[in-house]
Amino acid sequence: MANTISKLDAEAISLESVSLWSITKKRLFRRKSAVVGMIILGILIFVALTAQWLAPYDPVKSMLDVPDYAGQAQKRLPPCIHLLGCPKESPQHIMGLDGVIRDEFSRLLYGARLSLMIGFSTVTFAILVGTVLGALAGYFGGWVDNAIMRVMDVLLAFPSLLLAIAIVTVLGPGLINALLAIGIVSIPAYARVMRGSVLLVREMDFVSATRSLGGNAFDILFRRILPNALTPLIVQGTLGIATAILDAAALSFLGLGAQPPTPEWGAMLGSERNQVFTAPHLVFYPGLAIMLTVLAFNLLGDGLRDALDPRLANVS
Amino acid sequence: MKRNLFSLMSLLVLASMILAACGGGPVATQVATDEPAAPPTEAPTKEAPATEPPAAYEGVKAEAPNCDYGGEVKSIEAVDEFTVKISLCVPDPALPSKIAFSSFAIQPQEHLEATNGSPLENPVGTGPYKVESWERGNQLVFSRFDEYWGDPAMSKTLVFRWGTESAQRLLELQSGTVDGIDNPGPDDFATIEADSNLQLIPRPALNIMYIGFNNNPKVDGFDNSKNPLANEKVRQAIAMGIDRQRIVDNFYPAGSEVASHFTPCSIPNGCVGDDWYSFDAAAAKTLLAEAGYPDGFETVLNYRDVVRGYLPDPNIVAQDIQAQLKTNLNITLKIEVMESGAFLDAADSGQLTGLYMLGWGADYPDQTNFLGYHFGAGSSAQFGDKFPDVVDAIEQGAQLASDADRAPFYEAANNAIKTHVPMIPVAHGGSAVAYKAGLEGNPHASPLGNESFAVMGNGTDTFVWMQNAEPISLYCADETDGESLRACEQVTQSLLGYEVGGTAVEPVLAESYEANADLTEWIFHLRQGVLFHDGSSFDANDVVTSLVVQWDAANPLHTGNTGGFSYWSGLFGPFLNAPAP
Repeated sequence: MANTISKLDAEAISLESVSLWSITKKRLFRRKSAVVGMIILGILIFVALTAQWLAPYDPVKSMLDVPDYAGQAQKRLPPCIHLLGCPKESPQHIMGLDGVIRDEFSRLLYGARLSLMIGFSTVTFAILVGTVLGALAGYFGGWVDNAIMRVMDVLLAFPSLLLAIAIVTVLGPGLINALLAIGIVSIPAYARVMRGSVLLVREMDFVSATRSLGGNAFDILFRRILPNALTPLIVQGTLGIATAILDAAALSFLGLGAQPPTPEWGAMLGSERNQVFTAPHLVFYPGLAIMLTVLAFNLLGDGLRDALDPRLANVS
Repeated sequence: MKRNLFSLMSLLVLASMILAACGGGPVATQVATDEPAAPPTEAPTKEAPATEPPAAYEGVKAEAPNCDYGGEVKSIEAVDEFTVKISLCVPDPALPSKIAFSSFAIQPQEHLEATNGSPLENPVGTGPYKVESWERGNQLVFSRFDEYWGDPAMSKTLVFRWGTESAQRLLELQSGTVDGIDNPGPDDFATIEADSNLQLIPRPALNIMYIGFNNNPKVDGFDNSKNPLANEKVRQAIAMGIDRQRIVDNFYPAGSEVASHFTPCSIPNGCVGDDWYSFDAAAAKTLLAEAGYPDGFETVLNYRDVVRGYLPDPNIVAQDIQAQLKTNLNITLKIEVMESGAFLDAADSGQLTGLYMLGWGADYPDQTNFLGYHFGAGSSAQFGDKFPDVVDAIEQGAQLASDADRAPFYEAANNAIKTHVPMIPVAHGGSAVAYKAGLEGNPHASPLGNESFAVMGNGTDTFVWMQNAEPISLYCADETDGESLRACEQVTQSLLGYEVGGTAVEPVLAESYEANADLTEWIFHLRQGVLFHDGSSFDANDVVTSLVVQWDAANPLHTGNTGGFSYWSGLFGPFLNAPAP
């Protein structure tokens, strides 16, 4: 008896969610800013996946180490684009060469891979931990709630970048440690969002129904409540990726994140910061890349928030 | 009732905290402010009667019981009020050059006692400027000392500022907020030369940038038997596997050259002996395989991210060395940037386990300042265990008077260094100083990095200088950092000094000096009527005390900043009464 009912129940939910997603998709594509965000993101993901074929040179190899390099390798060479009239005999470097005589364009392409990886991995980590903590706090309430959320409050009380710097200082500089640090400081945001959603969904009729039918706590929490509380988390997560990329770039700029010769945008910016006037291209391009990526995630996140908000159903 | 008790308790706690704060505070600050202030008022009254009958002058004397302690100095003695005698265990023709160095500057005996041997922020000297205030992290202000014995400083106020970014320094100079900057970025040389409001003064390349190794790091739990860098062949392979010409050609400004030896050739006997290994990746790879590392290994490359004349772009050079060793020898370097002070401390105490980039600018133009300081008997632990053949050759060379006599020993030392490879000499870096155009006086760049700002002015009361970093402290007996030394040199003076913008030794606090025939007894005749910044007068006891606190490790004032006093031990060998290792 219980089995058949929960089966029916599940069917109903899946039917419901399919329609929610299709509505969301429709609404999302109607928002121009979100579409722009998705286009930029699409390009980024494409570049990240195909960097090794798109990049003309090895991102960590100095031109001095490239066999049969035709031109005269010179550090911080300005961009040379054949289409724009750069003489054919000098090799093409779309974004010039950096201080260590490496191809800036290749480094930028590989940097996209790294930045997306940083964004997704930190947010995945933070969402996993944050969701579990928030869900437990919201569902069980009482001292569990108090214990978890007070710890989150303490984490939230520090400026996130400062806390990340402190964590990296303890763990030692390096990309993995920087990821861990950024992951840790973004946990509270997700825990809070999740707890709020769980508190809301917990009191809904279908949950009460499952409970009265004898579902255990684990089942109720992860199979009934969680799927219905995900919406705000998706929005938070998308916006969180932007923050994570920005924080990682900041840490690398300060020399605490990716270590040379890793082609990370923040590190590229940091190592050429003194060349703002003499070789602006080395500061301009990584800066632009960081800006575009963060912008893309922010646009998409904003679009998602509006599209997923049932109260705005009639607006668009 | 319960509530009353609680409020009573909290009142009591509050009261005790206030008591503690008020009771502790004023006492502590009183001690701190009283001590430095007291001596100047007492000192003249004590000395005034002493000067009337000259025989009553009680000269201080410090003497080693014998020369077995290993150092160079036998005794330092105030013969009379204005005569100091330094006796040596071994002849030292370079003594005048050494004693002229700013680490051996003279401060009042009373001041050293009052500050317990570490006048870190309030040095009292005899120079044209005295320290006015030091806002840590912001600026260091000097004011003109009106009773200065020599030509008064041209500007009433001298301000030292600092910025690690060369772009920032250039921007400040261009906008006119500073009058001079140290070490403009190599890429900015052309910009400055093209700007009619600015002037670029090249600084001769009297320096060396090297990649150091420690063959026996002093780190707890470090297993040196597994340390590839303890193997001489590995070090030789690395020396052969780095294309130094490529580094200099690509990452150094004009006026730089590849180092054929540790010491620049313009220093007497600087580059006698064989030239350094030439670049040969194949031979290096073979040698590395012979040493047992055919597939390379992993280690660390440490450096400090500060620009110096010998290393204009540390971050870039580090990455090129990383790339070269990866390509040529499959050695993987993990780059670790360290804070400047921490890096120097770690290097000197032998705690760096991998490769490190460091350099050296001449303090005085003599081999003892290069080979002697780095590889001699008294050198620090930065290269690990010392090599007896290098140490012996340097010791013997240092005792001879003429350059020709010294040559064979320095040749032997250079060749032994090439064999043992305690470091790889990379480049003698050209650098420059940039000033506003149209300054008064003599805007200059010193090959020793000790620009004297008393001889230049901009027509107003205040002259602002911007250098790479903040001084670590202003007690330069225990500092080695050029940024600290330059600040000290405006304030304190030694018995002798170097000419402005040059390297020749000239009299400063000593008007003249003479030595006996075998160069073991040196008599310095002091300048009379010189006043310290605190108003006390300068005499022989100040000289003896200033030197002895550095020399004698058992002296209660042998404290300094870290207590390392590296220049003394580097130049004069082990300390007297040094604690057993």
